[in-house]
Amino acid sequence: MANHSQTPNAFENQTMWAGGRSPFNVSYGKLMMWIFLLSDAFTFSSLLVQYGAQRFSNVVSPITTEWPDPASIFNHFPFMHGLHLPLLFVSVMTFILIASSVTMVLAVEAGHRKSKKEVVRYMVYTIIGGAAFLGCQAWEWVTFIHEGARLDSNTFGITAQGKEHLGKLSFGDHFEWMLGDRTNGPVPFAALFFIVTGFHGFHVFSGVVINVVVTIMAYKGVFEKRGHYEMIEKAGLYWHFVDLVWVFVFTFFYLI
Amino acid sequence: MEFYNKPGEYDAINYIPPGESHGTKELWKTFWILLGITIFDFIIYFAMDPGGWRNFIFIFFGLVKAYFIVGAFMHMKYEKITLALIILVPVVFIFGLIAGLLYEGNAITWAKW
Repeated sequence: MANHSQTPNAFENQTMWAGGRSPFNVSYGKLMMWIFLLSDAFTFSSLLVQYGAQRFSNVVSPITTEWPDPASIFNHFPFMHGLHLPLLFVSVMTFILIASSVTMVLAVEAGHRKSKKEVVRYMVYTIIGGAAFLGCQAWEWVTFIHEGARLDSNTFGITAQGKEHLGKLSFGDHFEWMLGDRTNGPVPFAALFFIVTGFHGFHVFSGVVINVVVTIMAYKGVFEKRGHYEMIEKAGLYWHFVDLVWVFVFTFFYLI
Repeated sequence: MEFYNKPGEYDAINYIPPGESHGTKELWKTFWILLGITIFDFIIYFAMDPGGWRNFIFIFFGLVKAYFIVGAFMHMKYEKITLALIILVPVVFIFGLIAGLLYEGNAITWAKW
Protein backbone atom coordinates (compact mmCIF):
# COMPACT_ATOMS: atom_id res chain seq x y z
CA MET A 1 0.00 0.00 0.00
CA ALA A 2 1.23 3.45 -0.86
CA ASN A 3 2.48 5.64 1.88
CA HIS A 4 0.67 8.91 2.41
CA SER A 5 2.95 10.44 4.97
CA GLN A 6 3.54 14.13 4.58
CA THR A 7 7.09 14.27 5.84
CA PRO A 8 9.03 16.99 4.07
CA ASN A 9 11.94 15.78 2.01
CA ALA A 10 14.11 16.79 -0.94
CA PHE A 11 11.17 16.70 -3.37
CA GLU A 12 9.22 19.26 -1.39
CA ASN A 13 11.97 21.79 -2.02
CA GLN A 14 11.91 21.46 -5.80
CA THR A 15 10.50 24.35 -7.78
CA MET A 16 6.82 24.04 -8.52
CA TRP A 17 6.94 23.11 -12.20
CA ALA A 18 10.11 20.98 -12.06
CA GLY A 19 8.08 17.79 -11.81
CA GLY A 20 7.77 15.29 -9.03
CA ARG A 21 5.08 17.21 -7.19
CA SER A 22 1.61 18.54 -7.91
CA PRO A 23 1.80 22.14 -9.13
CA PHE A 24 -1.85 22.53 -8.09
CA ASN A 25 -1.21 21.36 -4.54
CA VAL A 26 -4.06 18.87 -4.82
CA SER A 27 -3.89 15.11 -4.94
CA TYR A 28 -4.03 13.25 -8.22
CA GLY A 29 -7.51 11.94 -7.45
CA LYS A 30 -8.95 15.36 -6.67
CA LEU A 31 -7.43 16.92 -9.78
CA MET A 32 -8.92 14.15 -11.91
CA MET A 33 -12.30 14.68 -10.23
CA TRP A 34 -12.13 18.36 -11.23
CA ILE A 35 -11.24 17.44 -14.81
CA PHE A 36 -14.15 14.98 -14.90
CA LEU A 37 -16.51 17.64 -13.55
CA LEU A 38 -15.34 20.03 -16.26
CA SER A 39 -16.16 17.47 -18.95
CA ASP A 40 -19.49 16.78 -17.25
CA ALA A 41 -20.18 20.52 -17.20
CA PHE A 42 -19.78 20.50 -20.99
CA THR A 43 -22.18 17.56 -21.27
CA PHE A 44 -24.87 19.39 -19.34
CA SER A 45 -24.12 22.63 -21.17
CA SER A 46 -24.71 20.93 -24.50
CA LEU A 47 -28.10 19.73 -23.27
CA LEU A 48 -29.08 23.13 -21.88
CA VAL A 49 -27.85 24.96 -24.99
CA GLN A 50 -29.96 22.59 -27.08
CA TYR A 51 -32.94 23.38 -24.85
CA GLY A 52 -32.36 27.12 -25.22
CA ALA A 53 -32.00 26.93 -28.99
CA GLN A 54 -35.17 24.82 -29.35
CA ARG A 55 -37.12 27.12 -27.08
CA PHE A 56 -36.00 30.27 -28.86
CA SER A 57 -36.94 28.76 -32.22
CA ASN A 58 -40.52 28.34 -30.98
CA VAL A 59 -41.23 31.77 -29.52
CA VAL A 60 -44.30 32.13 -31.74
CA SER A 61 -45.65 29.69 -34.26
CA PRO A 62 -48.23 29.96 -37.01
CA ILE A 63 -48.42 26.15 -37.37
CA THR A 64 -48.66 24.86 -33.80
CA THR A 65 -48.62 26.87 -30.57
CA GLU A 66 -45.56 28.36 -28.95
CA TRP A 67 -43.36 26.94 -26.17
CA PRO A 68 -45.56 26.40 -23.09
CA ASP A 69 -45.14 28.45 -19.93
CA PRO A 70 -43.75 26.09 -17.22
CA ALA A 71 -46.05 27.64 -14.57
CA SER A 72 -49.05 26.18 -16.38
CA ILE A 73 -47.63 22.64 -16.36
CA PHE A 74 -45.49 22.12 -13.25
CA ASN A 75 -48.12 23.36 -10.84
CA HIS A 76 -48.82 20.22 -8.82
CA PHE A 77 -47.97 19.40 -5.24
CA PRO A 78 -48.29 15.99 -3.53
CA PHE A 79 -51.50 15.51 -1.50
CA MET A 80 -52.92 18.77 -2.88
CA HIS A 81 -54.63 17.40 -5.93
CA GLY A 82 -56.18 19.83 -8.37
CA LEU A 83 -54.68 23.00 -6.92
CA HIS A 84 -52.68 25.52 -8.96
CA LEU A 85 -49.37 25.71 -7.07
CA PRO A 86 -46.67 26.61 -9.60
CA LEU A 87 -43.02 26.43 -8.55
CA LEU A 88 -43.80 25.28 -5.00
CA PHE A 89 -42.84 21.62 -5.35
CA VAL A 90 -39.68 22.32 -7.31
CA SER A 91 -38.63 24.90 -4.71
CA VAL A 92 -38.99 22.21 -2.05
CA MET A 93 -36.81 19.93 -4.20
CA THR A 94 -34.21 22.71 -4.47
CA PHE A 95 -34.28 23.17 -0.71
CA ILE A 96 -33.72 19.41 -0.21
CA LEU A 97 -30.70 19.45 -2.51
CA ILE A 98 -29.18 22.57 -0.89
CA ALA A 99 -29.69 21.01 2.56
CA SER A 100 -28.03 17.78 1.49
CA SER A 101 -25.18 19.84 0.03
CA VAL A 102 -24.53 21.55 3.36
CA THR A 103 -24.54 18.22 5.24
CA MET A 104 -22.07 16.89 2.64
CA VAL A 105 -19.69 19.79 3.18
CA LEU A 106 -20.04 19.36 6.95
CA ALA A 107 -18.97 15.73 6.48
CA VAL A 108 -15.91 16.94 4.53
CA GLU A 109 -15.12 19.40 7.33
CA ALA A 110 -15.48 16.65 9.93
CA GLY A 111 -13.13 14.54 7.80
CA HIS A 112 -10.48 17.25 8.07
CA ARG A 113 -10.75 16.91 11.83
CA LYS A 114 -10.67 13.09 11.40
CA SER A 115 -13.87 12.73 13.40
CA LYS A 116 -15.23 9.43 12.09
CA LYS A 117 -18.50 9.57 14.00
CA GLU A 118 -19.44 12.98 12.63
CA VAL A 119 -18.42 12.02 9.07
CA VAL A 120 -20.73 8.99 9.12
CA ARG A 121 -23.59 10.97 10.66
CA TYR A 122 -23.44 13.82 8.13
CA MET A 123 -23.02 11.37 5.25
CA VAL A 124 -26.18 9.54 6.33
CA TYR A 125 -28.05 12.89 6.31
CA THR A 126 -26.68 13.56 2.82
CA ILE A 127 -27.85 10.17 1.55
CA ILE A 128 -31.32 10.76 3.02
CA GLY A 129 -31.46 14.13 1.24
CA GLY A 130 -30.39 12.60 -2.07
CA ALA A 131 -32.93 9.80 -1.78
CA ALA A 132 -35.68 12.31 -0.93
CA PHE A 133 -34.77 14.35 -4.00
CA LEU A 134 -34.96 11.25 -6.21
CA GLY A 135 -38.37 10.42 -4.75
CA CYS A 136 -39.59 13.93 -5.53
CA GLN A 137 -38.32 13.69 -9.08
CA ALA A 138 -40.02 10.33 -9.58
CA TRP A 139 -43.28 11.89 -8.43
CA GLU A 140 -42.76 14.83 -10.77
CA TRP A 141 -42.20 12.51 -13.74
CA VAL A 142 -45.21 10.33 -12.94
CA THR A 143 -47.45 13.40 -12.65
CA PHE A 144 -46.09 14.86 -15.89
CA ILE A 145 -46.56 11.59 -17.81
CA HIS A 146 -50.05 11.21 -16.34
CA GLU A 147 -50.87 14.70 -17.69
CA GLY A 148 -50.00 13.47 -21.18
CA ALA A 149 -46.28 14.17 -21.62
CA ARG A 150 -44.58 11.91 -24.16
CA LEU A 151 -41.15 11.78 -25.74
CA ASP A 152 -42.41 11.90 -29.32
CA SER A 153 -45.25 14.40 -29.06
CA ASN A 154 -46.33 17.42 -27.09
CA THR A 155 -49.93 18.01 -26.12
CA PHE A 156 -48.98 21.05 -24.04
CA GLY A 157 -49.60 23.64 -26.71
CA ILE A 158 -51.69 26.16 -24.78
CA THR A 159 -54.44 27.66 -26.92
CA ALA A 160 -55.76 31.21 -26.61
CA GLN A 161 -58.65 29.83 -24.52
CA GLY A 162 -56.17 27.97 -22.31
CA LYS A 163 -54.09 31.10 -21.79
CA GLU A 164 -57.18 33.03 -20.75
CA HIS A 165 -58.14 30.22 -18.36
CA LEU A 166 -54.63 30.08 -16.84
CA GLY A 167 -54.33 33.86 -16.73
CA LYS A 168 -57.29 34.11 -14.36
CA LEU A 169 -55.75 31.67 -11.87
CA SER A 170 -53.95 32.81 -8.77
CA PHE A 171 -51.77 30.77 -6.42
CA GLY A 172 -53.72 27.96 -4.73
CA ASP A 173 -56.83 28.11 -6.94
CA HIS A 174 -58.59 24.97 -8.07
CA PHE A 175 -57.35 23.93 -11.49
CA GLU A 176 -58.30 21.37 -14.09
CA TRP A 177 -57.61 21.34 -17.83
CA MET A 178 -60.75 22.11 -19.83
CA LEU A 179 -61.61 20.93 -23.32
CA GLY A 180 -59.91 23.21 -25.84
CA ASP A 181 -57.23 24.48 -23.43
CA ARG A 182 -54.56 22.37 -25.04
CA THR A 183 -53.53 21.43 -28.53
CA ASN A 184 -50.30 20.23 -30.13
CA GLY A 185 -47.21 22.28 -29.33
CA PRO A 186 -43.50 22.20 -30.14
CA VAL A 187 -42.49 18.53 -30.07
CA PRO A 188 -39.14 18.73 -28.20
CA PHE A 189 -40.69 20.29 -25.09
CA ALA A 190 -41.40 17.14 -23.05
CA ALA A 191 -38.54 15.16 -24.62
CA LEU A 192 -35.98 17.76 -23.52
CA PHE A 193 -37.54 17.90 -20.05
CA PHE A 194 -37.18 14.12 -19.68
CA ILE A 195 -33.66 14.03 -21.15
CA VAL A 196 -32.25 16.87 -19.05
CA THR A 197 -33.98 16.12 -15.72
CA GLY A 198 -33.44 12.41 -16.35
CA PHE A 199 -29.74 12.93 -16.96
CA HIS A 200 -29.53 15.05 -13.84
CA GLY A 201 -31.56 12.51 -11.86
CA PHE A 202 -29.20 9.78 -13.00
CA HIS A 203 -26.31 11.88 -11.68
CA VAL A 204 -28.11 12.23 -8.35
CA PHE A 205 -28.63 8.47 -8.30
CA SER A 206 -24.92 7.83 -9.02
CA GLY A 207 -24.06 10.38 -6.33
CA VAL A 208 -26.22 8.57 -3.79
CA VAL A 209 -24.55 5.25 -4.69
CA ILE A 210 -21.07 6.83 -4.34
CA ASN A 211 -22.11 8.38 -1.02
CA VAL A 212 -23.40 5.03 0.28
CA VAL A 213 -20.10 3.36 -0.67
CA VAL A 214 -17.89 5.99 0.99
CA THR A 215 -20.13 6.06 4.06
CA ILE A 216 -19.72 2.31 4.49
CA MET A 217 -15.96 2.72 4.00
CA ALA A 218 -15.87 5.51 6.61
CA TYR A 219 -17.99 3.46 9.01
CA LYS A 220 -15.68 0.47 8.64
CA GLY A 221 -12.69 2.66 9.46
CA VAL A 222 -10.99 2.42 6.05
CA PHE A 223 -10.20 6.14 5.98
CA GLU A 224 -9.12 6.12 9.62
CA LYS A 225 -6.55 3.46 8.72
CA ARG A 226 -5.50 5.45 5.65
CA GLY A 227 -4.95 8.52 7.79
CA HIS A 228 -7.06 10.92 5.73
CA TYR A 229 -10.65 11.39 4.57
CA GLU A 230 -9.86 12.56 1.05
CA MET A 231 -12.36 10.16 -0.50
CA ILE A 232 -15.16 12.07 1.24
CA GLU A 233 -13.86 15.27 -0.38
CA LYS A 234 -13.91 13.69 -3.85
CA ALA A 235 -17.44 12.34 -3.35
CA GLY A 236 -18.33 15.80 -2.04
CA LEU A 237 -17.03 17.53 -5.19
CA TYR A 238 -19.26 15.29 -7.29
CA TRP A 239 -22.26 15.86 -5.04
CA HIS A 240 -21.88 19.66 -5.12
CA PHE A 241 -21.57 19.52 -8.88
CA VAL A 242 -24.95 17.75 -9.02
CA ASP A 243 -26.35 20.56 -6.87
CA LEU A 244 -24.74 23.13 -9.19
CA VAL A 245 -26.35 21.56 -12.26
CA TRP A 246 -29.72 21.62 -10.50
CA VAL A 247 -29.37 25.39 -9.98
CA PHE A 248 -29.33 25.80 -13.77
CA VAL A 249 -31.98 23.16 -14.49
CA PHE A 250 -34.21 24.91 -11.93
CA THR A 251 -33.53 28.30 -13.52
CA PHE A 252 -34.07 27.34 -17.15
CA PHE A 253 -36.81 24.69 -16.89
CA TYR A 254 -38.97 26.12 -14.15
CA LEU A 255 -38.25 29.79 -13.49
CA ILE A 256 -37.92 31.08 -17.04
CA MET B 1 16.37 5.57 -12.77
CA GLU B 2 14.78 6.13 -9.45
CA PHE B 3 11.06 6.22 -8.93
CA TYR B 4 9.46 8.58 -6.49
CA ASN B 5 6.73 6.25 -5.31
CA LYS B 6 8.84 3.85 -3.37
CA PRO B 7 7.14 3.07 -0.07
CA GLY B 8 7.99 5.60 2.55
CA GLU B 9 9.06 8.26 0.08
CA TYR B 10 7.30 11.34 -1.22
CA ASP B 11 5.48 10.53 -4.41
CA ALA B 12 3.53 12.86 -6.63
CA ILE B 13 0.79 10.39 -7.49
CA ASN B 14 -0.20 9.43 -3.98
CA TYR B 15 0.59 12.76 -2.35
CA ILE B 16 -2.31 14.09 -0.32
CA PRO B 17 -2.01 17.70 0.84
CA PRO B 18 -2.90 17.98 4.51
CA GLY B 19 -6.61 18.74 4.90
CA GLU B 20 -7.41 22.10 6.42
CA SER B 21 -10.64 22.91 8.18
CA HIS B 22 -11.96 26.43 7.72
CA GLY B 23 -14.63 25.85 10.37
CA THR B 24 -18.35 25.47 9.80
CA LYS B 25 -19.30 29.14 10.09
CA GLU B 26 -18.74 29.96 6.43
CA LEU B 27 -20.54 26.77 5.34
CA TRP B 28 -23.69 27.65 7.25
CA LYS B 29 -23.51 31.23 5.99
CA THR B 30 -23.37 29.86 2.43
CA PHE B 31 -26.35 27.61 3.16
CA TRP B 32 -28.46 30.56 4.35
CA ILE B 33 -27.43 32.64 1.32
CA LEU B 34 -28.45 29.81 -1.07
CA LEU B 35 -31.72 29.30 0.76
CA GLY B 36 -32.38 33.05 0.79
CA ILE B 37 -31.80 33.34 -2.95
CA THR B 38 -34.15 30.39 -3.62
CA ILE B 39 -36.90 32.04 -1.56
CA PHE B 40 -36.19 35.36 -3.29
CA ASP B 41 -36.56 33.64 -6.69
CA PHE B 42 -39.90 32.21 -5.52
CA ILE B 43 -41.16 35.66 -4.49
CA ILE B 44 -39.90 37.39 -7.66
CA TYR B 45 -41.62 34.70 -9.76
CA PHE B 46 -45.01 35.89 -8.52
CA ALA B 47 -44.20 39.53 -7.86
CA MET B 48 -42.93 40.37 -11.34
CA ASP B 49 -44.50 39.96 -14.76
CA PRO B 50 -42.81 37.44 -17.06
CA GLY B 51 -40.26 39.04 -19.30
CA GLY B 52 -36.68 39.99 -19.90
CA TRP B 53 -36.02 41.69 -16.57
CA ARG B 54 -37.40 38.82 -14.53
CA ASN B 55 -35.33 36.35 -16.56
CA PHE B 56 -32.26 38.53 -16.08
CA ILE B 57 -32.77 38.45 -12.28
CA PHE B 58 -33.19 34.65 -12.33
CA ILE B 59 -30.03 34.09 -14.38
CA PHE B 60 -28.04 36.63 -12.35
CA PHE B 61 -28.99 34.99 -9.05
CA GLY B 62 -28.40 31.55 -10.58
CA LEU B 63 -24.81 32.62 -11.27
CA VAL B 64 -24.52 34.04 -7.72
CA LYS B 65 -25.64 30.65 -6.39
CA ALA B 66 -23.10 28.92 -8.65
CA TYR B 67 -20.37 31.20 -7.27
CA PHE B 68 -21.20 30.22 -3.69
CA ILE B 69 -21.49 26.49 -4.44
CA VAL B 70 -18.20 26.34 -6.36
CA GLY B 71 -16.34 28.82 -4.15
CA ALA B 72 -17.35 27.73 -0.67
CA PHE B 73 -18.81 24.22 -0.94
CA MET B 74 -16.38 22.94 -3.56
CA HIS B 75 -13.53 24.77 -1.88
CA MET B 76 -12.43 26.51 -5.09
CA LYS B 77 -11.69 29.78 -3.24
CA TYR B 78 -8.87 28.07 -1.37
CA GLU B 79 -7.33 26.20 -4.31
CA LYS B 80 -4.34 27.46 -6.23
CA ILE B 81 -5.24 30.05 -8.85
CA THR B 82 -3.79 27.84 -11.61
CA LEU B 83 -6.27 25.07 -10.82
CA ALA B 84 -9.19 27.49 -10.57
CA LEU B 85 -8.36 29.02 -13.97
CA ILE B 86 -7.94 25.65 -15.69
CA ILE B 87 -11.41 24.60 -14.54
CA LEU B 88 -13.28 27.90 -14.84
CA VAL B 89 -11.91 29.53 -18.00
CA PRO B 90 -13.19 26.87 -20.48
CA VAL B 91 -16.68 27.25 -18.98
CA VAL B 92 -16.72 30.94 -19.93
CA PHE B 93 -16.77 29.96 -23.62
CA ILE B 94 -20.11 28.22 -23.09
CA PHE B 95 -21.73 31.63 -22.59
CA GLY B 96 -20.67 32.57 -26.09
CA LEU B 97 -22.23 29.39 -27.47
CA ILE B 98 -25.46 30.08 -25.57
CA ALA B 99 -25.67 33.65 -26.88
CA GLY B 100 -24.99 32.52 -30.45
CA LEU B 101 -27.48 29.67 -30.49
CA LEU B 102 -30.25 31.65 -28.79
CA TYR B 103 -29.83 34.32 -31.46
CA GLU B 104 -29.97 31.73 -34.24
CA GLY B 105 -32.89 29.94 -32.59
CA ASN B 106 -34.81 33.19 -32.47
CA ALA B 107 -34.08 33.73 -36.17
CA ILE B 108 -35.55 30.28 -36.91
CA THR B 109 -38.79 31.30 -35.14
CA TRP B 110 -39.32 34.15 -37.57
CA ALA B 111 -38.02 32.20 -40.58
CA LYS B 112 -40.85 29.70 -40.01
CA TRP B 113 -43.55 32.28 -40.71
